[in-house]
Amino acid sequence: MLEFKDATIATEGKILATGLSFIARDGELTCITGPEGSGKTTLLRTLMGFLPVESGFVSVDGELLTVLSAPVFRTLMVYLPQQVQMLAHQLTPPDAPSCEADGYAVWNALMPQAVKAEAPPPLSPEDIFRLEEQTLLGAGDKSIVIADEPAANLTPELSRQLLVMLRQQADAGKTVLIASRRQLLVGHADQVIELKVKSE
Amino acid sequence: MMILHVFLGALLLAIPAGALYYFDKALLRSFGVAVGRMVTQILLVSLIVWVLVHYDKVWISLLWLVLLAALSAVLVLRRVKLPLSKFLLPVAAGLFAGALVVGLYLLFVVLPVHDALGARWLVPIMALLVGHSMTTGILGLSTYQSALKADEQQYEFLRGNGTSHLKAVLPFVRRALQAVMSPSVANLSVLGFYAMPLLLCGILLGGQSPINAFVLTLMLVIGCLASSVISLAVILWLSDRQLFDKFGKLR
Repeated sequence: MLEFKDATIATEGKILATGLSFIARDGELTCITGPEGSGKTTLLRTLMGFLPVESGFVSVDGELLTVLSAPVFRTLMVYLPQQVQMLAHQLTPPDAPSCEADGYAVWNALMPQAVKAEAPPPLSPEDIFRLEEQTLLGAGDKSIVIADEPAANLTPELSRQLLVMLRQQADAGKTVLIASRRQLLVGHADQVIELKVKSE
Repeated sequence: MMILHVFLGALLLAIPAGALYYFDKALLRSFGVAVGRMVTQILLVSLIVWVLVHYDKVWISLLWLVLLAALSAVLVLRRVKLPLSKFLLPVAAGLFAGALVVGLYLLFVVLPVHDALGARWLVPIMALLVGHSMTTGILGLSTYQSALKADEQQYEFLRGNGTSHLKAVLPFVRRALQAVMSPSVANLSVLGFYAMPLLLCGILLGGQSPINAFVLTLMLVIGCLASSVISLAVILWLSDRQLFDKFGKLR
């Protein structure tokens, strides 16, 4: 079970979300929805311990979430981040760069230029689904599933298959918390939490 | 007598200078400046080595190694464009540690050296190891840091799924190691035939027999590879706190 109670989330002095209160229960599919910029991702990232809780509290199975406790809680969690399509290197590790023999090996000291690694190419919908499937099915007995816009880059058919998988996780007694604006996922959730854009 | 020899040697410069004078006077000026800078730099380095060999004290040699590691770290960080204030210590410590560990192993265990801590052996070996680790350090550190930035999602994905920080950075350590080793792999296979190692020439000029020169070159090249990997590991380990905040987010 996950609980937010009057939680205010801030980073570098800037308040990202205030007054968040809800409970995501075991065995249920809870969906956070709301327009872009309403704080859905912020909320999930806070739950992962990636962002601090300024006031109020967040608890996991009754235990307070802090910077120190977050890594322990994460061992109980399955997490699908928002930009899952950018995880190409998680599916296929990059090869070593191809190098021609030149002057900066071992016999002199010509200094090479710094390397600038590029972002991986985005995954196809099929590969995104494959990675999500691997992650969810490989979760074993982890009790919490958190997914940020998991169907954002999937086809309608793959989105339906994903929904089935998420439902199976909830039916297995896990706490399933997703952020989504897809009607398919919102409409099939047991509980929907709607966030609004915070006015300045 | 030596001055005369230097003068006679310098006369050889007349050949390229004469050719440039005839074909490209603009390049002749750059050539002159480059030769001047080369002479100054080599003279300076030779004077430093002369002092080290002349006094031949372990503590002076080690102090020199510390300074060399610090200076090399400055060059690495200039190339990688990371702030000196935060990364000087991790990079210098990495270069120093890699050279010291492998250098002492070579001097005490591998090479038939009677005075292992004498400046005559310690200084060139350590300089070679630091120099190589510096060049590979540029590749390793820049790859690690830029891969973390470009692929931050992967790090966060692994952390979010309960992986420890140490394990979550392993894919990026792997990429840094690939960047360090790939040029070495490419170069080692042509060393000798396509590329004559200056190291081998230097050892031959120093009076060693060809077989001894071969063994020394081989041991020093292997030492360079080992030292660069140790340096990379220490640099990445010590840079960790500068790269991530307490929430595990990349700074």
